[in-house]
Amino acid sequence: MASAMAELPLALFSTLAPMGAGAFLILAVLFSTAKVDGDAAKRIDRFTAIPVGLVIVGFIAAFFHLANPLHAFGVFAGLGTSPLSNELAVGCVFAAAMLIYWIWAMAGSLKGGARKGLLWVVAVLGLVFALFTGMAYMIDTIPTWNTFAGPVQMLGFALVGGAAVAVLVLTLAKEGALLKEGAVKTTVFAVLVAGLVCGIGGVAAQAVMTDPLSNALVSGSDLVSGALLAIVCGAICLVGTGVCDSFAVRGVGAGALVGVTVGAAALAVVGILLLRLAFYAMQLSVGLSIM
Amino acid sequence: MTQYAFHFDGTRCTGCKTCEMACKDYKDLSVGVAFRKVYEVTLGETKKAEDGTFTTDCVSYPLSMACNHCDDPACTKVCPTGAMHKDAETGLVSVDADKCIGCGYCHMACPYNAPKVDREKGHSVKCDGCAERLAAGEKPVCVEACPARALDFGTVEEMAQKGEQANIAPLPEKHYTEPNLYIKASADAKPAGDTSAKVVNPLEVK
Repeated sequence: MASAMAELPLALFSTLAPMGAGAFLILAVLFSTAKVDGDAAKRIDRFTAIPVGLVIVGFIAAFFHLANPLHAFGVFAGLGTSPLSNELAVGCVFAAAMLIYWIWAMAGSLKGGARKGLLWVVAVLGLVFALFTGMAYMIDTIPTWNTFAGPVQMLGFALVGGAAVAVLVLTLAKEGALLKEGAVKTTVFAVLVAGLVCGIGGVAAQAVMTDPLSNALVSGSDLVSGALLAIVCGAICLVGTGVCDSFAVRGVGAGALVGVTVGAAALAVVGILLLRLAFYAMQLSVGLSIM
Repeated sequence: MTQYAFHFDGTRCTGCKTCEMACKDYKDLSVGVAFRKVYEVTLGETKKAEDGTFTTDCVSYPLSMACNHCDDPACTKVCPTGAMHKDAETGLVSVDADKCIGCGYCHMACPYNAPKVDREKGHSVKCDGCAERLAAGEKPVCVEACPARALDFGTVEEMAQKGEQANIAPLPEKHYTEPNLYIKASADAKPAGDTSAKVVNPLEVK
């Protein structure tokens, strides 16, 4: 796990940015299926600053990973060949769409079909961004990363973390009642379950694949043993997120709602971060790459 | 294009690390950075019999290796900026410091542990085959420094006459990157991809 800590900026990026991105799926379902009046929409837009902020902080964290961020504008030169270029290109398209949506919504002139359409574009781009973040690690010389378990777990983190952020946004906007309207309640449950299955299942699949492998420097079973505590704690935190948000959606007292949803989001951040560190700790090269 | 390659003679190398030190000196590398590294590869086990005697089949052999300037480099494929590039004339792989962002993808992807991010310099660093010496008609400084003449450098056609392509453990199977490293294996060397051979000086070659 010590080597994984060296990747902390990337772990923060791949925790916070997909969480923010995933929140727009629930918001898209909300504005498409529930009756949201003008004042409620305004309050929700104000607190949409939370997922927007998470995405921005995530990208800033990624910059701390670079030895020379001043050259970062050249990262698109490898588009189509470098998985990192592909990830950042998709990330930038998503971030641009997200900012356009949010600024337009905050200006108060985004209504009706335009809001729904743009929100669905942002939501889909957010999930695609999460998938590309996972695919950025599919390098054929690192067999423990070169598996679809990576993109699947990133998608899962975006879903479960995004749901937690979206529920928090609605709670802080004092629109917790909307969680029970339209298809929102069912969607939140479905997204939480899918996110937990993909997130925890993806990490478990990666650990199972890593265990029998070895190279001249490390054995996969040692890597999995080193990451096991983080995996177990991360999984417990994510399940805790699911449980807290399930209570929030089914209905808890107004006084407890803020605490429950803040707790769910905090557990999601800690859980996903631990599972991301476990991912980095399970890096095993076909040769002599030493992190 | 003339593709250049290294040759390593495992029957001559004593593991003295003069090549590594000559490179560090010539390239003025700081502590913690080495473009050529000598891996101490060990395998086998020692067993205690019921009568208290011991038998062993342990062996150890050195492997001196820098960048292999591969035909299909993993580092250039993942580089997002194109800073890591393969020279069209010589086939040597090097870093364009003016483009590199120091993301470390090349370091992660390379199965030969060649590139490394030097955070003080703000970019990846690695063996460039002593391109300036090559242009002056000289061989890389590691080759010149080897007291046992276990290293050589030349065109891939010349080096291929001296050994087999990256064929010993702990190297990965050659199909991943098609490395331009040709090896004359020592008697104890295991074939590439054999994971029973372990590197026992990981901190030194990190």
